[in-house]
Amino acid sequence: MLEVRGVQARYGDAQALWGVDLDVAAGEMVCIVGPNGAGKTTLVKTIAGLHAAAAGSVRMDGVELTAVPGHKVCDYGVATVPEGRRVFGHMTVRDNLLLGAYRRAARRVYRETEEEVYRLFPRLRERQGQLAGSLSGGEQQMLAIGRALMARPRLLLLDEPSLGLAPVIVDEVFDALAAVTRTGMGVLVVEQDVQRALEACGRGYLLIEGRIVTAGTTEALRSTDEVRQRVLGM
Amino acid sequence: MNTVQVVLSGAMLGGLYALMAAGVSVTWGVLRVINLAHFGLILLGAYLTYQLVTIWRVNPLVTLVVTVPALFVLGALLQWAYDRLNIVEFNSLLVSFGLLIVMIQVAQNIWTADHRELPRDINPFDTGSLSLGPIVLPYDRLVCLGLAVLLLGGGHLALQRTFVGRGMRAFAEDRTVAASFGIDHRRLSVLLGGAAGASAGIAGMAFMLGNLIQPSHAYEWFGIVFAVVILGGLGNLLGTLFAGISVGALSGLVGVLWSHAYVPIAVFAAIIVALVLRPQGVFVRRRAV
Ligand SMILES: Nc1ncnc2c1ncn2[C@@H]1O[C@H](COP(=O)(O)OP(=O)(O)OP(=O)(O)O)[C@@H](O)[C@H]1O
Ligand SMILES: [Mg+2]
Repeated sequence: MLEVRGVQARYGDAQALWGVDLDVAAGEMVCIVGPNGAGKTTLVKTIAGLHAAAAGSVRMDGVELTAVPGHKVCDYGVATVPEGRRVFGHMTVRDNLLLGAYRRAARRVYRETEEEVYRLFPRLRERQGQLAGSLSGGEQQMLAIGRALMARPRLLLLDEPSLGLAPVIVDEVFDALAAVTRTGMGVLVVEQDVQRALEACGRGYLLIEGRIVTAGTTEALRSTDEVRQRVLGM
Repeated sequence: MNTVQVVLSGAMLGGLYALMAAGVSVTWGVLRVINLAHFGLILLGAYLTYQLVTIWRVNPLVTLVVTVPALFVLGALLQWAYDRLNIVEFNSLLVSFGLLIVMIQVAQNIWTADHRELPRDINPFDTGSLSLGPIVLPYDRLVCLGLAVLLLGGGHLALQRTFVGRGMRAFAEDRTVAASFGIDHRRLSVLLGGAAGASAGIAGMAFMLGNLIQPSHAYEWFGIVFAVVILGGLGNLLGTLFAGISVGALSGLVGVLWSHAYVPIAVFAAIIVALVLRPQGVFVRRRAV
């Protein structure tokens, strides 16, 4: 479904990605791990069309996304849960969710999707009328995921969803991600919590200094020297 | 009784301030453009109303059929250009001030610097009034208040309840995330600019109902309109409506108790006090906890 080939990205003169190859199929959860500053966020932004690729291609079901303007990428089935959650703090929980369904195809079925999101995260239903800025960190993360699901994506991108959350909440978040993966959605998750990511995902990529250094099944990754040294610190 | 009369009359006039402030508030709040040229659009709306009423000899409300679409297009073009040239905040203040000067000059060339007013025999709101016991409500001000309630109330509902309105609020908070959900800043600029332009047309017409117009009026509106915008809270139309009414009522009260000369001092003193107490805007609802 998602095919990333030879993607490079720059910030001015500084190159952040040096030719990244990566695939995500429908119904699989894939992780990207790597040390700070490796380019994980840049990669997510480039796939989502929020940062222009300097070279290479990003395809969704064969459609080239690097040529599509940022606000149209969601129409090709990509939704993002950004680093730091970035919910709309002055808007209510429900308004955040409905905003997620802004694109035309999602708007038509927003009631059904909203129900699905509330079933996945019952706390959001309880807090519908509350301003998003007043939610706890965990609830904001659930809201950011719910908002992305409201766009009815085929591919969900998540940038460090567990950051700063209590372990129980992280469990809840990963359970929800596993559930949406079972519905056939592709999930690409950037994680700092490498143990957790390797447990939850079938496959993974190790990104270091803008390059994919190792790729493969999580068992294979776990036993790689590079992952042990550079990320797990063992 | 005289005091009640004056306060009510001022509050109704406050509807006019709110109409003028609405466009400034939304383009500033959502698009981060401080559009001083908006006052030029109001001026244009006023003169167009004058011109059409004089030629067609119709009720001034009828001219909205022409002025609203015309100013929608102008307002949309203006925001489209700002967006294209990446003009926001401080830049927009400079650029739009330049535009305003040009617009005032153009108005002066077409309509001269002399006062213009709607022909009294055609303006049905000029002299009539509604009497409620001892209280007299002049028609022109009633229309101002009525239009303000309709326009700002309707705009508020649209911002709160529709997908596009939600998109605008989201864009105001975080452009990048809003874009990732399909919100196109170009379309949004044109749409909001058009809506602001249309509101300027309505404000210009409302102004003409009870006032004379001359080009330099555009400068005179600055103070009170910005006061209403800030008090109401950027992008908050319901707040702007209440702020307009309050400023109008306060002006009336100071005028009758004290002197008209003190109105500006009193209004701005009140605003400074109010903003010290509530810096987020006086009519902004507190964040629910
Ligand atoms: N807006 C920016 N301008 C300039 N350089 C940037 C910008 N954003 C990121 N970089 C640089 O690009 C590189 C990759 O950054 P990126 O944020 O993608 O890393 P990351 O893997 O997400 O790190 P972290 O784990 O800390 O989130 C870093 O060297 C960073 O300094
Ligand atoms: Mg990052």
